[in-house]
Amino acid sequence: MVVVYAGGNLEVALSSLFLNPITLAGGVQQIFVRFILFYTMGLGVGLALKAGLWNIGAQGQLLIGMVMVFVVYTFLAFLPWPVLYIAMILGAALGGLLWIAVPTILRVKFGANEIVVTILLNVVAINFAFFMLSGPIKSSGTALGFPHSIELPAQFKIPNIVGGTPITWAVPATIVLGIILYLVVERTPFRVKADTVGESHETAKYAGISIPRVMAITMLAAGALAGLAGATYLMGYRYELDIGSFSTNYGLVAIICALVGRKHMLGIGLASFFFAYMTIGAESMALSANVTTYVVFAMEGIMMLGILLGNYLTERRFLV
Amino acid sequence: MSFPLSDVIVGILSTTLQLSPFYLFAGMGEIVSEQAGVANMGLEGIMLLSLMTTFIVDYATGNPWVALLAAICVAGVFGCFFAFTAIRLRMDQIASGLAIYLVGLGLSFVIFNTVYPSGLTPNYIPLPSLLTNWNTVPYVGTIFLKQDVMVYVSLVLVLVTAFFLTRTSLGLRVRAVGENPKAADNMGVNVNKVRFLAVIFGALMFGVSGFYFAGNFVPGFQTDVIAGRGFIVLAMIYFANWKPYRALFAALSFNLVYALQNEYVSLSGFGVASVTTLFNMLPYVFLLALIPVFGRKARVPKFLLKPYRKG
Repeated sequence: MVVVYAGGNLEVALSSLFLNPITLAGGVQQIFVRFILFYTMGLGVGLALKAGLWNIGAQGQLLIGMVMVFVVYTFLAFLPWPVLYIAMILGAALGGLLWIAVPTILRVKFGANEIVVTILLNVVAINFAFFMLSGPIKSSGTALGFPHSIELPAQFKIPNIVGGTPITWAVPATIVLGIILYLVVERTPFRVKADTVGESHETAKYAGISIPRVMAITMLAAGALAGLAGATYLMGYRYELDIGSFSTNYGLVAIICALVGRKHMLGIGLASFFFAYMTIGAESMALSANVTTYVVFAMEGIMMLGILLGNYLTERRFLV
Repeated sequence: MSFPLSDVIVGILSTTLQLSPFYLFAGMGEIVSEQAGVANMGLEGIMLLSLMTTFIVDYATGNPWVALLAAICVAGVFGCFFAFTAIRLRMDQIASGLAIYLVGLGLSFVIFNTVYPSGLTPNYIPLPSLLTNWNTVPYVGTIFLKQDVMVYVSLVLVLVTAFFLTRTSLGLRVRAVGENPKAADNMGVNVNKVRFLAVIFGALMFGVSGFYFAGNFVPGFQTDVIAGRGFIVLAMIYFANWKPYRALFAALSFNLVYALQNEYVSLSGFGVASVTTLFNMLPYVFLLALIPVFGRKARVPKFLLKPYRKG
């Protein structure tokens, strides 16, 4: 729609939207890179949403996670390889967790709106990441151009499953993580607790559920997951951190995936795959139709509205 | 330092005031909208679209007033669209707001890029200054009298919004609709119509903010050029407890902190980008620090985010 307006050819556009992601070189890799990113962050956003909390700051937590990978790498370099490897991944999760601890504490202790705080912290995270990038974790190699980190050495990259295929071990790991969360969250009384807190605080209080505890657990887990996404993104695909790594707001796409997946730990996975596929398709469509790739944002927004509209129509059929 | 202190102070205060209209127009718009029970999270997307419109129309016509009108119209169209999804279709306000933001983020750059494929921003013709010959008045002249006409308009808007919400019958209906739509409905208020009007008013104000951004913040249009400043408005009115005068206070103090750190960074002449970015965090950290102080007493409009279904 948008692309046709912008002067593209409909046939070329459609074929690149649906076929290019799998036919073009690197397309499949890109799909899975995005899938991991959206799914890991989306799990967190969805978890918080179950308890009625909006984590608009997944992008900020992702950034802090990415920064933490390099902070651990730089300052704990004395650790032996496998320990450092794990420390980098855990450090990223811890970074995200600490970053969301601020809105969590303010929410639980002071009742401050988590939307407002996470939005504010997104801006702070960008500045903080920029600070770290131009100082403590800057690559000493090049002084010219925009600041960027060093590239991770090969032993810290997440290996591919089979040499030659573009899919890393991070893909099955993420899917396993999703299944574990499904078992822990959806198949235990925790789901009822979180849903009750999300629906009505009065009901939750009446049922004897500790509201602060549920809120804290879901929020902190959301932050840790977004931070973890930073580790898999850096160590499995990007390998170095520069300004380009935080120019796109993946946090918002994660929110869309969580909503489209109806906050279900496995549903979010399907939604993430769909959006990863569509994003890559839309990007290649924009390129082939000679439109700037930023058209993708508009398309994601329109898709989101379309899905919301679908929800509205199905609900209406049942209600009226 | 070789700079006279008085010049520095005048500069800081003048910047504080100069940046305020962006937050005040959007703030008043969002206050009215949220008092009626509808939070428009798409504000930054709407601002980006009207900012893009401002640049294009301003250059094409050479008349900033026409650009202002165009920016407001574009904002109004997208405001109508948001109002339709959030009120008529009863979509989740946060979700549809974020969707509008994404649409605005992508569409504004795509359109701009189609009109100016080189990516360069055309020369921007600013609004004429009204009181140019008052410059010579020491201190007061630079701080208060030399400002853009929109600065005065935005200050008047704060007064008008405060008066509107507390002293006029439509304003009371706006608040009733956000506080207790059922009761308002029983009293014969058309809940969704009032909400619609409030949201449209909000969107028009975002349009003015987008227009003001063109001449006073970043010189030129890029993707995501507003960079979260629109979303900050949501934080400001939260601290302001949805009260116009307090929003004015929040905007001025935020800008004061911004101007202070900006002046400090440029005076001390850090060559290092890293230190600058640390200072850039200050205004936001300042707002965060206000939460335990003011957030505790925040009284959210009771039916904020809740769609209303008659009957």
